[in-house]
Amino acid sequence: MAFDGNFMCTSFKKELLEAKHNFLATGGHQFKLALYNNDASFDADTTAYTSTNEVGNTGTYEAGGGDLTNVNPTTSGTTAFTDFDAAADLEFTDATITAYGALIYNSTTSGNPAVLVLDFDGAKTSTNGTFKIIMPTDDANSAIIRIETPVAP
Amino acid sequence: MLTPGLGMDVPRHKPLVMVETTNNRGFTPDEIAQHCVNKIISVSDNAHPAIRDQARAFSSQIQKVLASHMQEAVRNDRITVYNALKDAGHPQLAELIRRL
Repeated sequence: MAFDGNFMCTSFKKELLEAKHNFLATGGHQFKLALYNNDASFDADTTAYTSTNEVGNTGTYEAGGGDLTNVNPTTSGTTAFTDFDAAADLEFTDATITAYGALIYNSTTSGNPAVLVLDFDGAKTSTNGTFKIIMPTDDANSAIIRIETPVAP
Repeated sequence: MLTPGLGMDVPRHKPLVMVETTNNRGFTPDEIAQHCVNKIISVSDNAHPAIRDQARAFSSQIQKVLASHMQEAVRNDRITVYNALKDAGHPQLAELIRRL
């Protein structure tokens, strides 16, 4: 199997309606990003973090991945959005990693429920170096999690 | 009557995040300065050409200033590490750090 695109996990959408995720910068949940090799097979049906096919411990990378920093959700027009790491991106140093994608999940809520599958569009490799994940701009057009009103037909 | 639902799906085949890596080194001050500028200043491709060009020129100038100060920070930190190692009785190791 392999990564085949980005997916907002369907279970995450349901869990939002059940108040199982809190993205507030203060008092919110801890979200994490874990890296995976190309044997991982995630899609919209992915429901939780798994260590299967996760890259090994190396440098500052440890099983479970790195902590993301929440950004307070906000709105622009009719779009609500939130993002991670407003000031500093997540990076792993002194690391030898080959990853094809990542899973963002909630490590506070029981069961480590999945949020988002990220496809890196090929292998990304660091050798005894730094592996840095740069999050998109935190705005209504680019933020990583957005709830939008579709244009009426 | 059907009503449109809220949308929150992500583009399936457009990278949502960027990944940058290094081999056998960390990021250089120039690279970090570029990351920093990209966080501070974003210029829309659809902006008016005059505004876009001015913003890009400003971004380039800020990148140079940031890189310069980051290099200065690295140099100063190395001096601190050099002195700490020297004071701890490791002059050869201190010299290696100073020459980096």
